[in-house]
Amino acid sequence: MKHKAGRKAKSVRAKRSYPARTTAKAKREDSIDALVEANAQALGLTLDPAWHDSVAFNLRLILRHAALVDEFALPDDAEPAPVFHA
Amino acid sequence: MLETAAGDFAWDSAAPIAAAVAAGRVSATHIVEAALARIRERDPLLNSFTAVTERRALARAQALDAARAKGEKLPALVGVPFAVKNLFDVAGLPTLAGSKINRDLPPAERDAALIERLEAAGAILVGALNMGEYAYDFTGENIHDGPSRNPHDLHRMTGGSSGGSGAAVGGGLVPFALGSDTNGSIRVPSSLCGIFGLKPTYGRLTRARTFPFVASLDHLGPFARTTRDLALAYDAMQGYDLDDPACADRAAEPVVPRLDKGTDGLRVAVAGGYFKGKTAEAVAAVDSVASALGANRDIDIPQSERARSAAFIITASEGASLHLDRLRTHAKDYDPAVRDRLIAGAMTPASLVVKAQKFRRWYREEVLKLFAEVDAILAPATPCTAPLIGQQTFKLGDVELPVRANLGLYTQPISFIGLPVVAVPVPLAPLPIAVQIIAAPWREDVALRVAYALEAQGVVAAPRPSF
Repeated sequence: MKHKAGRKAKSVRAKRSYPARTTAKAKREDSIDALVEANAQALGLTLDPAWHDSVAFNLRLILRHAALVDEFALPDDAEPAPVFHA
Repeated sequence: MLETAAGDFAWDSAAPIAAAVAAGRVSATHIVEAALARIRERDPLLNSFTAVTERRALARAQALDAARAKGEKLPALVGVPFAVKNLFDVAGLPTLAGSKINRDLPPAERDAALIERLEAAGAILVGALNMGEYAYDFTGENIHDGPSRNPHDLHRMTGGSSGGSGAAVGGGLVPFALGSDTNGSIRVPSSLCGIFGLKPTYGRLTRARTFPFVASLDHLGPFARTTRDLALAYDAMQGYDLDDPACADRAAEPVVPRLDKGTDGLRVAVAGGYFKGKTAEAVAAVDSVASALGANRDIDIPQSERARSAAFIITASEGASLHLDRLRTHAKDYDPAVRDRLIAGAMTPASLVVKAQKFRRWYREEVLKLFAEVDAILAPATPCTAPLIGQQTFKLGDVELPVRANLGLYTQPISFIGLPVVAVPVPLAPLPIAVQIIAAPWREDVALRVAYALEAQGVVAAPRPSF
């Protein structure tokens, strides 16, 4: 399996499309907040408003970790390992 | 010394207890009564047990004593008390998995498979142990049952999520215990409590009739105060089980007969890069073990930071999927720290989770190549010794990091691909810390041989707490 490392994360590219860094950050924060609300509704989860910031914090953390995985290029024939045999 | 007061059994390991019971020098009943007395006396300090199965344990001990009186052949762990993290089914008890919600479940009808196997080998279950809620934890704290406490400093964490297992073994309540390890929950408490822990190869030990967390990453395994006890328990638990879909159809490979083969011919390297310790204690622990083994070569485990991130995503997503229905109906009954992580996990895009599983296969192939060059790799088990209970952050180099998410920094990339690991305690003062001995899949024997040799040299040992 051939590996091509070094591709930029999509999130990094997206950030560059905004004119000002602060604006980009604010938009990202807004999008996570909106994502939490929309997902809660779609998943049938009742979110106490007091939980929102903590859930959003954890989702940002997950997406930061996900970006690190996402930016690693894998070939199209890479197989996932959902049932894993060591 | 075994025939004297009950307290004299506090630090005996499983092997000499079983030998004494088999030889008739002490009864199994006496051993169990002594263990129950220690639990009554010390557990109010350690908070490691959530249930004590006294009647069952005494009945089992009496049955074994009767068998011995009849001259029947006695198995390897005869009369040895043990306890299990409370995510193992114990017949007659609801399987709490550290939660409030599960207290409403009906009692389990049958023991977990590993309990059955250990009892078939003569061991005697004396209770169920405290743990982090639903195993989503590295601290050993629990808001429903209170924190399990470190036997070397009662103000400090045991590590989690198998915190009660670490406290009960490290505190001398039982010679060995069982726990689970999804991202480090056997190796982290072993490190903070100064005991030995074995996380076997993924698929080696059956998980049947235990409460799951992350099917892709869940492992079960033993804690003990000696390498030999780990091996005895492990050998008693090996074997295929149709009731766990991930359990490998692979013959048992007993390790006890191979323990004392020594380390001659074994190639041991130290994990570099991501795994280089950043605290004085982590560095000192790895250095002392490496020096004793003559391991003077560093080896790079590629992309380990990314592997940890992939494990993080899979954990969040699969854990959330497991709990989605409960999050809809009982969200307020969760520990808020667990609940909010699970809710966020439910919102993780599936495309990223699949990518993490693809990366997992890539990483496995890369890491397995390293085992053509080495037989075992050393790495710290935790970044530091036990933090204080309630401590939120710790310093790693120049960076302040949250404790809860980062105690498993060095364990997550390894369990991510199911490699067998023995955590060996280095008895530094004032607090112990462990080193991971990592081997190729199905080579538990190699990791245990190395641990056994280190123990014989006195480099690693479970320090006896002063309380």
